[in-house]
Amino acid sequence: MNVYLLQVVNGIGIGMLYFLLAVGMSIIFGLLRFVNFAHGAFYLLGAYFCYQAVEWGLDFWLALAIVPLAVGFVGWALERAVLRHVYDKAHEFHILLTVGLALIIQEGVIMVWGPIGENVAPPDVLKGVVMWGAFIYPKYRLFVILFTAVIAAGLWWLLEGTRLGSAVRAGSESTEMVSLLGLNVTQIFSLTFGLGVATAALAGVLAAPIRGAEPFMGLEALGIAFVVVVVGGMGRFSGALVGGLLIGIVQSLMSTLWPQGAQLMIYVAMGAVLLLRPHGLLGRG
Amino acid sequence: MQAIKDNHQWLMALAVVLAMPLLIDSGSLASEVLIYALAVLGCNLLLGFTGLLSFGQGIFFGVGSYTLGNLLVRLDLPLAAALPLTVLAGVVSAVLVGWLAIRQRNVYFALLTLAMAQMFYFLAYTMTDLTGGDNGLLGVPRPPLSILGVELLSLESPWQFYRFVALCFLVAFWLLQRVTTSVFGRTLLAIRDNEARAAAVGYDVHGLKLAVFALSGGVTALAGGLLAMMAGIAPLSSIEYHSSEMILVMTIIGGTSNLFASLLGAGFYVLSADWLSFIWPRWLLLLGVLLMLVSLYMQRGLWGVLESLWRLLRGRRGAAPDATQPEQRP
Repeated sequence: MNVYLLQVVNGIGIGMLYFLLAVGMSIIFGLLRFVNFAHGAFYLLGAYFCYQAVEWGLDFWLALAIVPLAVGFVGWALERAVLRHVYDKAHEFHILLTVGLALIIQEGVIMVWGPIGENVAPPDVLKGVVMWGAFIYPKYRLFVILFTAVIAAGLWWLLEGTRLGSAVRAGSESTEMVSLLGLNVTQIFSLTFGLGVATAALAGVLAAPIRGAEPFMGLEALGIAFVVVVVGGMGRFSGALVGGLLIGIVQSLMSTLWPQGAQLMIYVAMGAVLLLRPHGLLGRG
Repeated sequence: MQAIKDNHQWLMALAVVLAMPLLIDSGSLASEVLIYALAVLGCNLLLGFTGLLSFGQGIFFGVGSYTLGNLLVRLDLPLAAALPLTVLAGVVSAVLVGWLAIRQRNVYFALLTLAMAQMFYFLAYTMTDLTGGDNGLLGVPRPPLSILGVELLSLESPWQFYRFVALCFLVAFWLLQRVTTSVFGRTLLAIRDNEARAAAVGYDVHGLKLAVFALSGGVTALAGGLLAMMAGIAPLSSIEYHSSEMILVMTIIGGTSNLFASLLGAGFYVLSADWLSFIWPRWLLLLGVLLMLVSLYMQRGLWGVLESLWRLLRGRRGAAPDATQPEQRP
């Protein structure tokens, strides 16, 4: 079977995870004008909560449903208790606040689970590989592609087809106008933040059986999420999707062609996109 | 009197530099404070005086480490030649990064510098010939400072090295103070406070930003080079995301309203990290809490706290408005 085809499929799998990771950050930024440097830390929490749930003998499927909700709730509560008090401050304080939050979560994880990573087994149904003729592919990775595609469609519907979604999109254009229309903007803010955090945690849960859970995966994920939103364009659902897939495929292909440079090429791809389109592929000026 | 008034920031820095040997036992620790203070000055110049939030200061720090390391290890250059070249390397890399990043503003600028920092990290990780990859560039020597074969200053012992670092720091501080009070510096403040207005008045905002970015890169590279000399190694960690984050965090903790605040921020961070990491390996948790407190309750940093205390002691309320304070930040 063609190695490159396999790597492209792999890249789509990784890219869908990157999309999930970045879309929350992108939506939060679009509405709240707030760069969430703790986004990677919520992804980290997702992975460790999943590990813990499986360790307690809970079903993986249950973890997949409950962990994002739980972490999303934490995000929602943090937004109400802490984050909203800095919205009116200069943006270095938004960043400093979330950098601090990320540090607290990361060090907290090390305190509870130790500095060495843990492995998470995929559920029994998804162990092994699927075979279609010459095409051989791990079942779990295939599941991730399909599942994230469903989630992506769900998120798209949430943003484009519901009242909450139109409030979020309108708020991204003008928060003031939305509040003048009589909508409760502060509530929309906390819901959006919670939703963004939940998608990061979901990405963490899905990634755990592939790459395990270790304390510094949050930082790595933060870097990736930045690249994806910078490449795709900030504040756009479609930007996160295109950016995520592009970065995933580049990384995956390069890991066959030039393994040491696979990570570097992600950033080179970003540089190239920015030279041609400073606001990202789908960004508005 | 006027000379004292004009240079009071520099004189305060001088006092700290002279007092540190009396208060700190370890010459290396004292040197580390000044080295990071140097890097923080570069960051403060961008954030406090121009309104540019750079998450990429680690790039220049790392470039400085590797450049000075390579010049000393491989080319065996004298220090007096290697240091200016290190600063130059910082300037060149800053122009490169700045040329791409300055096209964007505010948050986008910060994100771009961060993404570039990652790029340079992986570049350093891949170019093992120049950087030693994961192991770092080992065996960076500490040659004496000599000009035309005459040895001016030996850097063997930690306190001898401290003297040299102090010299670099004080010279850089004085130069930067001159820059910030010059017409160029005042123009930067105008850009920070209202970029659109500065552009409308006719200033070349893009060019000025690039110039200050280059200056900042040079200062930061000098700091990185000195750290490599002190540690005897140019490690991969000097160009890591963590390095950029640390420099930025020190800058904001110290305060961005003046240059002396940078020394405060670096001193506070380096000394408390040294002390806390000794008693509790998870001390970064406390740092996280501190960062949240700073962003919620003390946005003017340690300098702001000192100023409030000073005012409280003198029983005076509203002080005279300070020209270096921002009008209003969005």
